[in-house]
Amino acid sequence: MQFLAPMTVDEALGALSEREDGLRVLAGGTDVMIQRMTGQLPRSESLLYIGGITDLSGVHLSDGTICIGALTTHHDLRCNPVIGTDLPSFAEAAATVGGWQTQAVGTIGGNLCNASPAADLAPPLLAADATLVVSGEDGPQRIPANRFFLGRRRTALPVGQILLKIEVPVPPAATWESYLKVGRRSAMEVALVGLAARFSLAGGLVETARLAVCSVAPVPLRLAHAEAALVGSTLDQGAVAIAAQRSMEEIDPIDDQRATASYRRMLVGRLLGKAARLAREGLEIQ
Amino acid sequence: MTAVGPDTPRSDADAKVRGLANYGVDYREAGMLHARLLRSPVAAGRVTRLDVSTARSVPGVHAVVTAEQAPEHRNGLVLFDTPFFASDTVLYEGEPIAMVVADTPRQAQSAVDTIGLEIEEWEPISNVTEALAPDARLLHPDLDSYQILPGASSWPKSGNCGGVLTSDPGGVDEAFETADFIVEDTFTVPRQYQAYLEPKSATASYDGWRWTLHVSHQFPFQVRSRVAQALGVTDSRIRVVGHHMGGGFGARLDLGLEQYAAIGASLTGRTVQLVNDRTEDLISTMSRENATIKVRSGVTKEGRIVAREFECLMDGGAYAGDTVYLTSIPMFMVGSVYRVGPTRVTAKSVYTNTAPSGAFRGVSGTYICFALERHTDRLAEAIGMDRREFRLRNLFESGDSMLNGQTLEDADILREAFDRVEEVAPWSEAGKGSLKGVGLAATIWLTNPLAGSATLSIQQDGSLGVSTAATENGSGAVTMGVRQIAAAQFGLAAEQVFVTAPDTDTQGYDAGSQGSRTTHVVGMAVQAAAKQLKPRLFNIASGLLGALPDDLELSGGSVCVRDDPSRTVSLATVARTAFGLGGPLSATGAYNVPLPKWDPDSAEGLLFPVFPVPTYHVHLAEVEVDPDDGAVRVTRYVVAQEVGRMINPDGVYGQIQGGVAQGMGYALWEGLETKDGRYTRRTLESYGLPLAVDVPDVEIIILEHPCEAGPYGAKGAAEPPIVPVAAVIANAVSDATGANITSLPIDPEEVLLAIDKRREG
Ligand SMILES: Cc1cc2nc3c(=O)[nH]c(=O)nc-3n(C[C@H](O)[C@H](O)[C@H](O)COP(=O)(O)OP(=O)(O)OC[C@H]3O[C@@H](n4cnc5c(N)ncnc54)[C@H](O)[C@@H]3O)c2cc1C
Repeated sequence: MQFLAPMTVDEALGALSEREDGLRVLAGGTDVMIQRMTGQLPRSESLLYIGGITDLSGVHLSDGTICIGALTTHHDLRCNPVIGTDLPSFAEAAATVGGWQTQAVGTIGGNLCNASPAADLAPPLLAADATLVVSGEDGPQRIPANRFFLGRRRTALPVGQILLKIEVPVPPAATWESYLKVGRRSAMEVALVGLAARFSLAGGLVETARLAVCSVAPVPLRLAHAEAALVGSTLDQGAVAIAAQRSMEEIDPIDDQRATASYRRMLVGRLLGKAARLAREGLEIQ
Repeated sequence: MTAVGPDTPRSDADAKVRGLANYGVDYREAGMLHARLLRSPVAAGRVTRLDVSTARSVPGVHAVVTAEQAPEHRNGLVLFDTPFFASDTVLYEGEPIAMVVADTPRQAQSAVDTIGLEIEEWEPISNVTEALAPDARLLHPDLDSYQILPGASSWPKSGNCGGVLTSDPGGVDEAFETADFIVEDTFTVPRQYQAYLEPKSATASYDGWRWTLHVSHQFPFQVRSRVAQALGVTDSRIRVVGHHMGGGFGARLDLGLEQYAAIGASLTGRTVQLVNDRTEDLISTMSRENATIKVRSGVTKEGRIVAREFECLMDGGAYAGDTVYLTSIPMFMVGSVYRVGPTRVTAKSVYTNTAPSGAFRGVSGTYICFALERHTDRLAEAIGMDRREFRLRNLFESGDSMLNGQTLEDADILREAFDRVEEVAPWSEAGKGSLKGVGLAATIWLTNPLAGSATLSIQQDGSLGVSTAATENGSGAVTMGVRQIAAAQFGLAAEQVFVTAPDTDTQGYDAGSQGSRTTHVVGMAVQAAAKQLKPRLFNIASGLLGALPDDLELSGGSVCVRDDPSRTVSLATVARTAFGLGGPLSATGAYNVPLPKWDPDSAEGLLFPVFPVPTYHVHLAEVEVDPDDGAVRVTRYVVAQEVGRMINPDGVYGQIQGGVAQGMGYALWEGLETKDGRYTRRTLESYGLPLAVDVPDVEIIILEHPCEAGPYGAKGAAEPPIVPVAAVIANAVSDATGANITSLPIDPEEVLLAIDKRREG
């Protein structure tokens, strides 16, 4: 087993192209190390530690686009003023990842590339219609968020490539967004359900509604039918009830040691109701 | 000045905070070997092949041990039902089948992985209902032939029941006839894992005749006799040395891995260490037993409980452990605290194909209190009476007797505890508002009476050494309690006293850290030793000072003449003089709590007959329930606890805060459920321990009623704060939502459904 620690993206890609077999990208290691310990990943696998590539971390705003480096930690997302102002659902989601220790080292890139059905940053990513920028064969390539998650621990990231950053357009004015997560305790919890909601208003009515959930299907997903029920509404009770009903039909939750499928179903509908309630307050909808 | 009281820091704090303290898992010896166990991967079955030939030839392997090399006889705490290694049959997932000893843990594990094991799997008997079915497979077909602990009186057992307690004083059915309402409830609770930070370990060496074990264990003398019993040798051939302990909570009272390290040492002639990994620890530790509890009571319109029936089925797992003793616990709870009229009790310890269960802080009491106090709320509801008023109406008074016939001389303290809680959290104002609620519960608890001893010796520098096999489980009982009591006896500051680690070769017997006994019992032993030591000390000082021994007193590390404080001699000088006069200044004292009277005919199978030095407890909790996800937030928690006298307030407060946190875990998040005899939550990641962010600061009211026969009046304090927690929280959640909580941990889905139902209804 080898441990490689490149200092630039090119070095990293060079190492990857030389040995496509068993070279595992390592960022914060909060998923990788546990998967090695529990035998989900072979211990013989060599590690490519990208944490030293400074270009890949941090949040930048330019030309109406917010760029989040793949190595940005949950702690930094939680505390970053641009994220706090323009993409609060990312900050809220990051603040729910494990505990402070996890947030100090765990990265957004690791969270998305690990592609757990419960990844907390996935719903905000989907609801923001973000774009993932990956290293590509001949220069960076863009993958839309809704095409990134293919299955449990499976993504559209081609073998031998790395995720560089995430791009999110600055949301229009009169937009409200939030991430609501349910776990049994207030921290250190894999989401039983996580819901990101984003509503933009035009003329007092919802112009765009975006809802995305984790932990209720093999992949994090958008709730397109529920969204449609809210477009053109004032997030009034009637529309929300229809959306909640549809949301429960769009998901495919399972029973596991953490919660029953029926509870998860109830939660999605209720979280949607809660999001609508909070959005009406936040957007001052009368 | 006295060392008893506030602001005395514990002596182990600095080393623990800085990482300098050495725990059992840290212990090392030169040339030490490492062992790993092969544990059964299934809950039940017949072993059809066990081939260790490859394992023996794995590089670095020194020994492979199976039932063939181990003693054939069965061992146990009170019922000898446990084989050293499973051989023909396996009875629970995690049961040890073989052990490999190798140069490194990794080599040992690799060799374990090569062992050819085939098991013809049986459908596991995974719960008490299946175990008690008339045609159930017997886990122990030879139960009748098993030996029991010499000196223990026999008790009823049969089929898949390792122990049955029954109490039927007569008149119960007639009393039910006088009731206006009869309420019956059934409760179920899961297992709770002690989840100490330091996993279990043992290190053993062998010199051709005697074994030395290095452990972090709550009860070194128990390790000594249990290892001796398992190996089939006499006790004195075993020496047990204790180290810092990373928590125990009852899980380190019986054997863990010690017997395996010991046999590894004698077979290889080398020191052998064995350490559990976390999942191994979680699945094999004797966790708090899961149970099903039925309570039925008759109550009058006026609010008197007139009759009761109580049945408790405790899942003891594949081997009885101490659940046979625990069947006695209902005798101290079902008809205590409240007067309940004639009462019939049945409690069974049942064998199932699950890991053996056993002692956990507040043994069985946590769920018995949960069942009883939920039931108390339900009785009040049935007659439309305020829940607090109903409790006060039936409350025990001094002189009332429990079901075992033991009289509670000071039960009036209960009333005081209710009153003091009322002062800080008035019932009429508590838990008001939408989806808010309040719960109340009360209990008594014991101070474990078993014997302890301590040897005091004045050192040549004038400090005091306390040598005792009492163990510091983390509570501060030794590093604060015993140390402060010893200091106070000699007018010293606690800093001038050190307490040794346990060593069964050099110290007198001590019954371990259990049942809040250490401060009380060992504190009394220290006082007994001091009583012998002081006259000798004064005799020598009297020669040095030219004064009569009776005219001397101890103060600030010196002996002085009472009426002429300018005439003093330091303890150091006295100690050095004593050395020259034929021996050190030391004395040994011992103590055990005299047992209160009880009625031996009150029950059959009463192996644990009394609740000595009882203490009294009332808890109140306010909760708020989230309307969207059903999650319970405990917004306020009040404890009124009677402790006799506080030796160290920080210690008492810490134990109460910690007990409430642990009880909250039990009430809201923890729990080992089994599926096909296997635990479903197998790591701390999924287990759900309480987190600091979810536990409120507990408001603590201490009631002090100094105990005449207690060191400076102290009674036990550390174990009981966990007991009423699930009960109060469940009562508060029921109050907030209308959900009739009958199982733990409280299920948010059930809570949400109850909220919906209340809204619709
Ligand atoms: C105690 C604990 C609690 C946790 N709680 C939560 C929680 O509440 N919610 C949650 O969602 N997760 C949780 N996690 C999981 C984990 O912390 C997060 O998913 C975290 O964001 C992973 O980031 P990382 O940098 O540590 O990833 P790593 O472990 O380093 O990597 C994860 C995966 O992504 C790949 N990878 C990482 N970066 C890149 C890149 N730039 N390009 C290509 N591939 C890459 C790795 O090869 C690996 O497959 C928890 C983990 C722990 C240990």
